[in-house]
Amino acid sequence: MVTFQRAFAHNGRDGNCKHLALRIPHLSDDFRCRSAMTGGDDKRRAFEETALPHLDAVYRFGLRLTGNTAQAEDLTQETMLKAYRSWHQFRPGTNIRAWLLTILRNNFINEYRKAKHRAESVDISDVEMRSVFHDVAETDPEGKFFEQIVDQEVLDAIDRLPEDFKEALILSDIEGLHYQEIAEVTGVPVGTVKSRLFRARRALQKELFEYAVEMGYIKRSTL
Amino acid sequence: MTDRAREIDCGEAAEKLYEYLDQELDAATEAAVKQHLEMCAPCFQVFDFEKTYLKFIETRARAQGAPESLKRKLLDQLFREGSAAD
Repeated sequence: MVTFQRAFAHNGRDGNCKHLALRIPHLSDDFRCRSAMTGGDDKRRAFEETALPHLDAVYRFGLRLTGNTAQAEDLTQETMLKAYRSWHQFRPGTNIRAWLLTILRNNFINEYRKAKHRAESVDISDVEMRSVFHDVAETDPEGKFFEQIVDQEVLDAIDRLPEDFKEALILSDIEGLHYQEIAEVTGVPVGTVKSRLFRARRALQKELFEYAVEMGYIKRSTL
Repeated sequence: MTDRAREIDCGEAAEKLYEYLDQELDAATEAAVKQHLEMCAPCFQVFDFEKTYLKFIETRARAQGAPESLKRKLLDQLFREGSAAD
């Protein structure tokens, strides 16, 4: 194993520890030392600085696609390792998050989807596509009722959307990708992204509204 | 003559609602929608409601992140990958 001195001499500067380890507060000192001792190469440093900050996004997308935490963790690990091994294929200047989510999605389709017990999703083909605003205009035009809905109910309602629609909504509204990027990740034209996004948002809105009515957070308009 | 955007009606504004909120419109169309919203209170209210809704989804669904144990496991694996390549 290389010594500290040799690692520092080899790198010519002592910046080894300061990159990722400092951004992840619970990292053990052991890892910090080992990281320094091996003398991180450029690839690993670039990967840690560019790709690892998106780990939460990768995990979230994995969790929504697989529907369970164990598979989401496996899928996230596989995705990040694959990205690391294919690092030379990443084009600097393009959206790293979109690149990682594409790898995850492909992996999910190839390895997980077949085995996944697909939960029943709601049929949104007949959902009325007008904004819920019109149902609450008299009582809550600012949409304050949303605030009373708990996180888990929001996630469950997202999970009940049909897969194509769910994907578009997650990539746009949770992970902040542009339409063009979503089109590239999911392999469909931008027009399809727009229409899926529209339907997904309105269907989800409707679900959350119905839930809020049921819970008594808001009254249905009688108009 | 001042630079005024072309006029659009409520129907067209509603059609562009999400593209406007997502900042996906070209500059001219975006200006047209913005101008419409300045003049049309009912449309403004709908846009504002939808903006609140999108913000709400983002905040709630983003609260969840990868577990710390997964982060540590991954760093360990990357360390091993690096060592193997050395």
